Amino acid sequence: MDYLATFASSHAALRAEQVCRGEALPAELIPLPSQIRGDCGFCLLLEGGGEAETERRLQRLRSLGAVALYRVRVDQPSPSSRKVKSYERCP
Amino acid sequence: MSDVLRTLDARGQACPQPVILTRKALADGGFGLLEVLVDDASSRENVARFASYAHCVVERIEEEGPVSRILIRPMAVGPDQPGRVFARPEPAAPAFPAAKAETVLIAAAGIGGGDEHLAALLMRAFLYTLTEGETLPVRIILMNGGVRLAVEGSESLINLRRLAERGVEILACGTCLEFYQLKDALAVGRVSNMYEIAGLLLQGATLRV
Repeated sequence: MDYLATFASSHAALRAEQVCRGEALPAELIPLPSQIRGDCGFCLLLEGGGEAETERRLQRLRSLGAVALYRVRVDQPSPSSRKVKSYERCP
Repeated sequence: MSDVLRTLDARGQACPQPVILTRKALADGGFGLLEVLVDDASSRENVARFASYAHCVVERIEEEGPVSRILIRPMAVGPDQPGRVFARPEPAAPAFPAAKAETVLIAAAGIGGGDEHLAALLMRAFLYTLTEGETLPVRIILMNGGVRLAVEGSESLINLRRLAERGVEILACGTCLEFYQLKDALAVGRVSNMYEIAGLLLQGATLRV
């Protein structure tokens, strides 16, 4: 399962990415999906990882100022159709 | 061999299927002339363009009602491979229909002036967004500082690789790689030259980033 972490500003997302990089915590800085918020910005994408490892990474992102975490759902109605991503906010 | 005619009936096939079938037929070879039948204008143009790009001669395009008949003569590359083409690696067909801009020209490592860090970040974000998109360009041409995106250690390398996996051809200017002493560091795509690049930029719609 992949997760997204959003931040209060692009600068905050950048700072968090720098820290993650220093700690070898895999988090990719990507443009904020428009389904989450219409304005421009960045967020961090966490891909893969086991349950415990993901929880550790999410905790770290919270401590780095993540304001919201989203679970990324990927739906593909049939093998030939396009993958559609949706984002479910974590409590 | 030169008189053998093969017919490829791609009528009713949605784009990019006619191009894929044409590519396969040309790769299989064994004929002197390939006749491709298509029934829509964009397939006709895409097949003819692909054939030219694959070093074939488009001898004639005949139209009868909605059906176009494209006659393609492959260029033989060796006596033991009559009719086979592809003297150079061919791009895989995009998994999705090509975007309106066939070529994306990236001539810097970042987008726009201003803060260099932000410019680099915007380029990363742009390439990532392309990977997520429904429509893809046929190719990305990297020139000047843009070649730095395709070398080992580049933060954009992963996204260029993802695009390459989806069939987008990545071309890097050889002069630029040499100038920056990065010729051995190219990690995705292939080296191109000004003749090819100029031809491609003039061939279809180009988006300059």
